[in-house]
Amino acid sequence: MTTQAAERLDRRAREALADLLLAMADDEFVLGFWDSEWTGIAPVLEEDVAFASLAQDEIGHAQALYRLLVDLEGRGDPDEVAFGRRPEEYRHARLLDHPRTDWAFSVARRFLYDTADAARLDALVASAFEPLAGLVAKMRREETYHLLHMHAWMERLANGGDEPRSRLVHALERLWPDARCVLAGVDDAPLVAAGVLAEPLAAVEQRWLDGLAPVFERLALPFPTVAPPAGGCRGPRRSDDFLWLWGQFTMVYRSDPGATW
Amino acid sequence: MQVFEVFRREREGGPMQHAGNLLAPDPELAAHYAREFYGRRQESVRLWIVPRAAIRDLDDPDLLQPPFDRSFKKPAGYSTEIKRKLAEARERAGEEVEQG
Repeated sequence: MTTQAAERLDRRAREALADLLLAMADDEFVLGFWDSEWTGIAPVLEEDVAFASLAQDEIGHAQALYRLLVDLEGRGDPDEVAFGRRPEEYRHARLLDHPRTDWAFSVARRFLYDTADAARLDALVASAFEPLAGLVAKMRREETYHLLHMHAWMERLANGGDEPRSRLVHALERLWPDARCVLAGVDDAPLVAAGVLAEPLAAVEQRWLDGLAPVFERLALPFPTVAPPAGGCRGPRRSDDFLWLWGQFTMVYRSDPGATW
Repeated sequence: MQVFEVFRREREGGPMQHAGNLLAPDPELAAHYAREFYGRRQESVRLWIVPRAAIRDLDDPDLLQPPFDRSFKKPAGYSTEIKRKLAEARERAGEEVEQG
């Protein structure tokens, strides 16, 4: 099915689609690893379980996206794509280069990512590349709960007194420029022309920001006046924090590449 | 933080059964945590999340464990007793038939 759907795309659209799948998969994969770092040390036991479960969901989405990519290209193996690349070959957005930092920072990052990702999924649910449309429909069902949970935490930190609020504001100020990278850094024109993506990423980003504006106004939180970074939204230059994380999540794979676990 | 008791239904048509409890600061997060604890592996089709404070607790032995024999109030006690009496009556009746 994937092969047939791919054959209907021209070469340029197929290459752009492969890059989009890799970018989305890497976004979910790297976020999943950062957030899994809260396992055992989240603010309360219940949140520990919840946040780890969210992180696991993202790794699951990444796995499905890597699988789709491998099927599209007709070669490779999802594990090899996930764990077998050099750090500079990863295509995740710069938002995911930041470390876990404090709880407010992780909540703010996940909120920005989940809402941007939701806007991206909206533009893919009727994709002409049917295998992606089908996967996105499933991902959206799971993201509904992620969004509910992150909205709940944003409210509580924003209205939770001086310290939670100032930590949240500080985190948002640091994250906003790089958050603008989630809906950038992919060659979207051929995807829109082929009907793979419903609208250009710039339009997706505008829809995302329009949806967030009332939330940020109600919570009196900083909203971007800064422009997104000019370049390097999705690598190849990476932060030292990501290099450290890469070392962690590829450690076992690198110890014996190709082993069957 | 307050304690919430969680009830779950395993499949459509089944009863709501006590699943366990959790700590949460409010009902909204309690619902999220209940979903994580008792629903994330698709093991439930419905959850009830109840603040423990809303539960009226009753454990007074004067009300629940009266001191007299009340076996006649139990269906099982009644049915075993009636079976014994019925067997006795049948025995008597049988004897009467033989004699007649």
